[in-house]
Amino acid sequence: MTPNVPLIAVERVGKRYPSSSGPVEAIADVSLTVGEGEFCTIIGPSGCGKSTLLGMLAGLVPCDSGRVLVAGAPVTGPDPRRVATVFQDPGLFPWRTALENVEFGLELQGVPRDRRRQVATDLLAPLGLARFADKYPRELSGGMRQRVAIGRALAIDTAILLMDEPFGALDEQTRVLMGEWLLDIWRRTRKTVVFVTHSLHEALALSSRVIVMTARPGRIKSVLELPQPYPRAMESADLVSLRAKLWGEIREESMRSMER
Amino acid sequence: MRARTRSLQVAILLGGIALWEIAARAANPLLYVPPSAALPALRDLLTLTSYPDLPSHLLLTIQEIVVAYGLAVLAGLGVGFGLGLNRVLGRVYAPILAALYAVPAVVWYPSLMLFFGLDAASKIAFGFLLGFFPITLAVLAGVRQTNPQLVTVARAFGARPHVLFVKVMLPAMLFTLVGGLRTGLALSVIGVIVGEILGSKSGLGSLINHAYGLARTPDYVALVVLALGVVVSTDVAATLLERRAQRWTAE
Repeated sequence: MTPNVPLIAVERVGKRYPSSSGPVEAIADVSLTVGEGEFCTIIGPSGCGKSTLLGMLAGLVPCDSGRVLVAGAPVTGPDPRRVATVFQDPGLFPWRTALENVEFGLELQGVPRDRRRQVATDLLAPLGLARFADKYPRELSGGMRQRVAIGRALAIDTAILLMDEPFGALDEQTRVLMGEWLLDIWRRTRKTVVFVTHSLHEALALSSRVIVMTARPGRIKSVLELPQPYPRAMESADLVSLRAKLWGEIREESMRSMER
Repeated sequence: MRARTRSLQVAILLGGIALWEIAARAANPLLYVPPSAALPALRDLLTLTSYPDLPSHLLLTIQEIVVAYGLAVLAGLGVGFGLGLNRVLGRVYAPILAALYAVPAVVWYPSLMLFFGLDAASKIAFGFLLGFFPITLAVLAGVRQTNPQLVTVARAFGARPHVLFVKVMLPAMLFTLVGGLRTGLALSVIGVIVGEILGSKSGLGSLINHAYGLARTPDYVALVVLALGVVVSTDVAATLLERRAQRWTAE
């Protein structure tokens, strides 16, 4: 790949959904690029189309206008060789054990049984799930389930990891710990992460760049670069003022989305 | 616990037989055949003295069941998935199917005999008709209760439609599906035997009709016991398959 082609390029994408009161414009004219190794967070009020945007990157949602390029090639559908996705609902297969869930993507790629079992087993230890390999999803806690889902995404070892509010359904404490743990994974694997959230704390603690989206139809409102080193002291003057600034922007959009 | 359940079941069975004997003796033993008369009849039946051509009748009935059920499974899976996966078709046809299922199926039988004649074809058609509905409706219900998030996840990991079907849809709906297949089997068996009783010259049902018509009540009872044996053994086979399926999803 030539260095001047960004790993992910979103070019003027738009999406409308049909509804009973006519088509609703979910996102309009969004353009952005994400470079290799970035941790890019998309934040915005509910219903601003951030999940739609992520779905477009994943190849799960077709664009009505514009296009998405990954490594210079237009996205036409899911590409598990380049992109892995984690959803808010972990979507684990209830008839598979934790280990078998982690193996899923490798299985679809035709990796031999022994090999994929090895990869999945090696992944479970850093996920803190070594003792839970043979447990079924119903026997795991919410945080564990989400870690299995992340393991499933990491197993196919893609350059890009998309995460759609992966910790949204977890309690505050678990959420913070999962964030720290994800940061650790990201720093070791140097994957490119696009992370959708509505949590200010997550955005500031994790991202190298934060993209704020407007209320519907979602457009890009502002972009915040965060060069601060990790792990970040969230109480530092620097981050406290950044937090206030970010909150100001999101507050405005949230008010607008509540007023409609 | 298991042994206790078993011995209780045996006790209930024996008690039932004893009650039957007492009641039949008190009433008219020609109409209410006591077990003491049914057992020799059953022996005569199985030694082929009362009905020497029993094996060919039984074979015909089993063949009819196999064909009727096989067709019901194929059509049920096809129609069920067709309607389940195509939202528009499903919305149009599912209520019609459910309404048809509610109609007592036996009302169709005279017209089936008109269409397919008195031979095996009409029995197969009736067994098919009875087995088709529960299978189709189970597939429809199974498709609808599959968590759409699982489908999204599988697609994100690159699952093509046939992989999606085998690795996600089938395991997700397995219990509903197997339940429908079992009900369908029981109803197909009933359809074939009832069809034979209502009008045919061969098959287990026709023998039942024959014995009944000639007031050979002990033979009639013996044939009913044999028919019960057929139904129970298909159900046992279905149970074994169900266990198999459970193990398969657990893998």
